[in-house]
Amino acid sequence: MEKNVLLEVNHLKKYFPIKGGIFGKKTIQHVKAVDDISFQVFEGETLGIVGESGCGKSTTGRAILRLIEPTSGDVFFEGRNILEMNKRQMRALRKDMQIVFQDPFASLNPRMKVKEIIEEPLINFKMHDSAARKKRVAELLEQVGLAPSHVDRYPHEFSGGQRQRIGIARALATNPKLIIADEPVSGLDVSIQSQVLNLLKDLQKELGLTYIFISHDLSVVKHFCDRIGVMYLGKMVEMGSKHELYNRPLHPYARALLSAIPRPNPKLKKERIILKGDVPSPSNPPDGCSFHPRCEECMSICKEKTPDLEEKEPGRYVACHLYDQEDQEKII
Amino acid sequence: MEEPILKVENLEVGVKKDTGFMNIVNNISFFLKKGETLGIVGESGCGKSMTSLSIMDLTPASVSLKSGKILLKDKDLTAMRKNERRKVRGKEIAMIFQEPMTSLNPVYTIGYQIVEMIRNHQNMTKKQAYQHALNMLQLVGIPRADEILHEYPHQLSGGMRQRVMIAMVLSCSPEILIADEPTTALDVTIQAQILELMKSLQEEMNMSIILITHDLGVVAEMCDRVVVMYAGEIVEESEVHELFENPKHPYTKGLLESLPDVDEDREYLSSIKGTVPSPSEMPEGCRFAPRCAFASEKCQEDPPVFRVNQKSSCKCWLFEDSTAE
Repeated sequence: MEKNVLLEVNHLKKYFPIKGGIFGKKTIQHVKAVDDISFQVFEGETLGIVGESGCGKSTTGRAILRLIEPTSGDVFFEGRNILEMNKRQMRALRKDMQIVFQDPFASLNPRMKVKEIIEEPLINFKMHDSAARKKRVAELLEQVGLAPSHVDRYPHEFSGGQRQRIGIARALATNPKLIIADEPVSGLDVSIQSQVLNLLKDLQKELGLTYIFISHDLSVVKHFCDRIGVMYLGKMVEMGSKHELYNRPLHPYARALLSAIPRPNPKLKKERIILKGDVPSPSNPPDGCSFHPRCEECMSICKEKTPDLEEKEPGRYVACHLYDQEDQEKII
Repeated sequence: MEEPILKVENLEVGVKKDTGFMNIVNNISFFLKKGETLGIVGESGCGKSMTSLSIMDLTPASVSLKSGKILLKDKDLTAMRKNERRKVRGKEIAMIFQEPMTSLNPVYTIGYQIVEMIRNHQNMTKKQAYQHALNMLQLVGIPRADEILHEYPHQLSGGMRQRVMIAMVLSCSPEILIADEPTTALDVTIQAQILELMKSLQEEMNMSIILITHDLGVVAEMCDRVVVMYAGEIVEESEVHELFENPKHPYTKGLLESLPDVDEDREYLSSIKGTVPSPSEMPEGCRFAPRCAFASEKCQEDPPVFRVNQKSSCKCWLFEDSTAE
């Protein structure tokens, strides 16, 4: 079955300037939050993006929606380059692309009632008349598992899990095709986390949604996603289907990251790769492969040349010189 | 059996309100043996942090101890005066917190803060104390320790700050270390480093650790015994293998089943319906009953703690046939 590409990201970059100089107006350096990443998202699938704090996964999510203006690159949504669109076209397109944020406490306006929060996107896009909107709000509440009596309440009256449900209902209001979920369950307790994950899965089946799921929690990503990309210091270092990635990680960073997951099984005595040191600052990343100072299999080429993300096996992308050998042989 | 080093008996902690006393921690008892790691797990608001803060006597002013005993060897900490308690804190029982940035003072150097702690509890000159602080920093694996001594907390990364905290609390070689979510704010690879460090230091110094966490993965890795808390009560106490292989209390079962497992593929996670009740609206009888799939009429009545077998005990009517403790 040929899968349709819903979203294509090509060489996306986002550099944040660091201002300096006497008047603080000169740009002295750049933080390369997202540095040249490319990937595709197929219709109906869930793509997971994992990485540690500061690796640029949230910036990627926001840059795709142009909530942060990317420095360069292309983002194609259903074949149209959204980075070339003007404000009006972009606004119209936002109907199809929505985002759910991590902190449901901060992303809901405390002075609006639930019905106003969920109705707002419908009003923005001039969808339905007033009575139909009311019906739609009730329908959405039911879809995310809240009671119709909740419409007149304010966000502070809800628990964290319920607030996240409100956030999801708001994102669903305009019938989007793509939802970017930025750490949607990180602030929640495990028993509530599983409720929200199940809800998201149900909604995907029901409405045929496509998700980009951004998280630092590797077990949640493994459970929830179809394909997963691992980011390190603004770069995508490995990408593949979840089974291949978790069973046989190729990139040394992905290997270390996966071995560090604490498993809820005391019998499992596994060999853990403990990484030395910390993640370097993204304003001053090391030359060559940005992972090389912490890498156990660092070679001389790693210090000089940045590896590109290449398809080493069908559907399996890795950015690491360890897997260059075939090419080298060809050169010889 | 070896005499436990720390014993908590019938501890009740709560907040005074106009309407009366509101319990946050309700009649809990547990013990800690020499050299072991005891895990306290539970979701937010279950009272796990308040329990540990009561042991340290660091509870917020509005929270007070209603009844119960905290026995360190045979001394009752609750009967001590403030200044006696202060000598115990840091010297015999030390604590590290979740957020290392807020537990270090931003306007003093790392060295100053460690030395202050050492000189408070041990008879050392400034010079000796600085040397000791340097040794401690090297012990916890901080590179360039002699330079870090003169740096400020903001110059360090999260993982490094947590190492500094560990160096600081261990500088007086406490017998008991209470670690309240020590790795929650850290990334997984850094978490692995810190947990490894805590394990090796525990062996070296023969400490007992109380590890408070919501992460069952961390529990499986670190702990010997586990106490599961729900809504201010201990619902299950068990050896770590027993807990994961054969959980007793319906809440523990639900918690374990709602975890996504890396080794297993499931379409849906099972979840516990509903949410944790707020302390002001605690249900009568068993506090978990409204969310419990096994609830019966008996659950209207508060269950006692039953000893199920040698390895575990459980506060649930399902185990009525076992002996009550």
